[in-house]
Amino acid sequence: MNLPAGISGDEPHNDIGRRASLALLASGILASGYRQAHAAANGTLTIAVHVSLPPSWLDPSEMPALITTYMLVYALHDAMVKPMPEGNPAPCMAESFTASPDGLVHEFVLRKGMTFHNGDPVTSADVKFTFDRYRGASHQILRDAVASVETPDDLRVVIRLKEPWPDFMTFYALATGANWIVPKKYIEKVGDAGYRKAPVGAGPFKLVSFDPGVELVMEAHPGYWRHTPRVKRIVMKVIPDEATRLVALKRGEVDYAYSIRGELAQEVKRTPSLKLEVASDGATYWMYFPEQWDPQSPWYKPQVRQAAALAIDYVSINNALNLGASRITSNFIPQHLKYHWPSPPPVFDPAKAMRLLAEAGYPSGFDAGFYWCDAAYANLGEAAANNLAAVGIKVQLRPIERAAFDKAFADKRYKRGIIQGSSAAFGNASTRLSVWAIKDGAYAYGSYPEIDALYPQQLHELDDAKRTAILHKMQQSIIEKNMFVPLWQLGFLSVAGPRVKTSTYGSIPGFVYLGPYDDIVLNE
Amino acid sequence: MKQFIARRIGYSLLSLLLLSLTIFLFIRLTGDPASLLAEPGASAADIAAIQKKFGLDQPVWYQYIYFMGNLLRGDLGESFYYQTPVLELYLSRLPNSLLLASVAMSFSLLLGIPTGILAAVRVGRFWDTVGKFFALLGLSLPSFLVGLLLILFFSVYLEWLPSSGSGGFLNLLMPAFALGWYFAAAHMRLTRSSMLEVMGSEYIKLARLKGLPEFKVIAKHAFKNALIPVMTLAGINLINMINVAVVVETVFAWPGIGRLLYEGISFRDFPIVQGVVIIGGSMIVAVNLLVDIVYAFVDPRIRLEA
Repeated sequence: MNLPAGISGDEPHNDIGRRASLALLASGILASGYRQAHAAANGTLTIAVHVSLPPSWLDPSEMPALITTYMLVYALHDAMVKPMPEGNPAPCMAESFTASPDGLVHEFVLRKGMTFHNGDPVTSADVKFTFDRYRGASHQILRDAVASVETPDDLRVVIRLKEPWPDFMTFYALATGANWIVPKKYIEKVGDAGYRKAPVGAGPFKLVSFDPGVELVMEAHPGYWRHTPRVKRIVMKVIPDEATRLVALKRGEVDYAYSIRGELAQEVKRTPSLKLEVASDGATYWMYFPEQWDPQSPWYKPQVRQAAALAIDYVSINNALNLGASRITSNFIPQHLKYHWPSPPPVFDPAKAMRLLAEAGYPSGFDAGFYWCDAAYANLGEAAANNLAAVGIKVQLRPIERAAFDKAFADKRYKRGIIQGSSAAFGNASTRLSVWAIKDGAYAYGSYPEIDALYPQQLHELDDAKRTAILHKMQQSIIEKNMFVPLWQLGFLSVAGPRVKTSTYGSIPGFVYLGPYDDIVLNE
Repeated sequence: MKQFIARRIGYSLLSLLLLSLTIFLFIRLTGDPASLLAEPGASAADIAAIQKKFGLDQPVWYQYIYFMGNLLRGDLGESFYYQTPVLELYLSRLPNSLLLASVAMSFSLLLGIPTGILAAVRVGRFWDTVGKFFALLGLSLPSFLVGLLLILFFSVYLEWLPSSGSGGFLNLLMPAFALGWYFAAAHMRLTRSSMLEVMGSEYIKLARLKGLPEFKVIAKHAFKNALIPVMTLAGINLINMINVAVVVETVFAWPGIGRLLYEGISFRDFPIVQGVVIIGGSMIVAVNLLVDIVYAFVDPRIRLEA
């Protein structure tokens, strides 16, 4: 995906390299002019990765609720069904999947002739073994719902549920690692610890070597069912510092660099040999008013919340902070999640915002207290706070380091002011609403009875059209009430070097890394 | 003497106990690691499952007793993020850190000691000012800036050196210099002050009165004695270079213990942070204990005063 034109920006995260030194380095990199990559087109793609790669990510059975894990899983393993460019989810190892009309039986048919990296055939026994072995995120929910996993023959798998559960496929295919198939025979032979040291999967690439936190090398799996990968070898090098990643890309030490933002991204845009690419992150960021249920608070009045929504200059903030790469939305449920309601875009109208404030009894605005946010996105909070101040809603920015911020948010300790929330959690609109907008939700400081009443109606609704209608109605109601004021759905920026012909970056919905790996093409 | 050594060992063990308690409690004040091991907005069930898996649902006092019990058996626990024993991770990174620290220490001593001597023998003059300026820069410039500037000149402009990573001698030069400069400045300052003290002593005056050449007075008589505190400091600094080169190792993607600590802090990986701090602290306590005992052997007044 190409990046829209934008203006200068700031970096959303704070790494060790600070703004001044990044700018200095960026200008230096440009001034030096780009030299041709040293590496020849030898079929090796080297990726500069921004996070450490732990051994636990090699084994889908321990899959945490972290999108970063999928960076490795998509390369080494394959799933029955998974998000792909052609569908979300799309049939993969299962060539077809069907559900009985009563929603109790889900049947999957495996493709013929698939093999693991060690040559063992993929069979239904591996699928059942994988399900039983899974211990990662949301495994208990899945386990509690499933009555049995049956394998009538080598290519057919039948999963029977205890009761109809419309979210079964959401959890099985999207929110857990239970359908990323691992080899039964091999794991029974080497054990769990042995498997983590030498994992064998059925993905497009097989592991060659791994130095945890430092470097991982993979080689193409020629028997991969989609097609033989077009790149022979992939090397992932962990380079935590953003500026260093860009220098490595410039020097041809790597071919692709994840997460290049702010000033560095701006400089990349001016370098013809490099391509800045954007993938839509699953994370939306929004303002949340914990006092909206307190009749004594200004936020109790709908006009005040609407004024806050109208005060934000969404497009300018996006252009200034993220080169226009983020998606502007009025819905806090991200676009790629199932049952997302395509809401009208938000409007920036400060004059109307001031009028609404006056109507609500605050002609001179009011002091709204603190604006709490994750320190990594304090620049977004600062921009929003400035916009609010321009219409008279005065806030003091309080950036908190993420671990402490999330804990205080979940513990409901930010009772006053504004909270800048965000979520990239897996699931669908229903699961997202359950956490944030429904009574007793983990992060919900309050709720509205009419929205709460709709929630159980859709929870067991097997008719997808009816369920969609209910969930759309809930989202519509949330937007009308300005329960949340979304600021953006983050666009995650990365850079391709001159050797990369087709990166595949951003082609899988909600996935911010390269993939499908077998479709990556290098220039000759 | 036995009483002196026993008392010193007792103080050392007490220091380590206090260190373990301090790091254990302070790291827990910085937030919940479970929220960093899942996407923001993960369900309460997922967060609770992570807390249970790593024993974070237990009371803090219980976690401390459990941690100390394991520590006494030489088990530093398992990393939350890597899900690998901390000792295994530490040992896998140790060779890289030792290599970096050795070269950085060589840089630091080769730069710091001659500059310090020159500043002392030319006190108040041009070379003294140059030396002090060098020390001021070394101590004040942040390591990440020095690192990025080195990358800019040697990797981007000149294309002489690789920008990051490990594996070859060339990969080592920039991180070693960036790390060594800070310590070179400290060594320069101590060498200078130590040399100035020695140069004012009676036996140096006597050597000069005897007509010994100035070079011989400095090199043979003054330098040797002035070197003792510098070497003591260098020993402690070497331990710091091995364990806490956090910024330099991160900027240059050097896979050492400093970067491991950085990752531990970033992910609130309590076992990694506790493990690295306790190993580093134990090294410093052990060196200090050894120095105290050696001093007491060499100078009986120390043990009598103690």
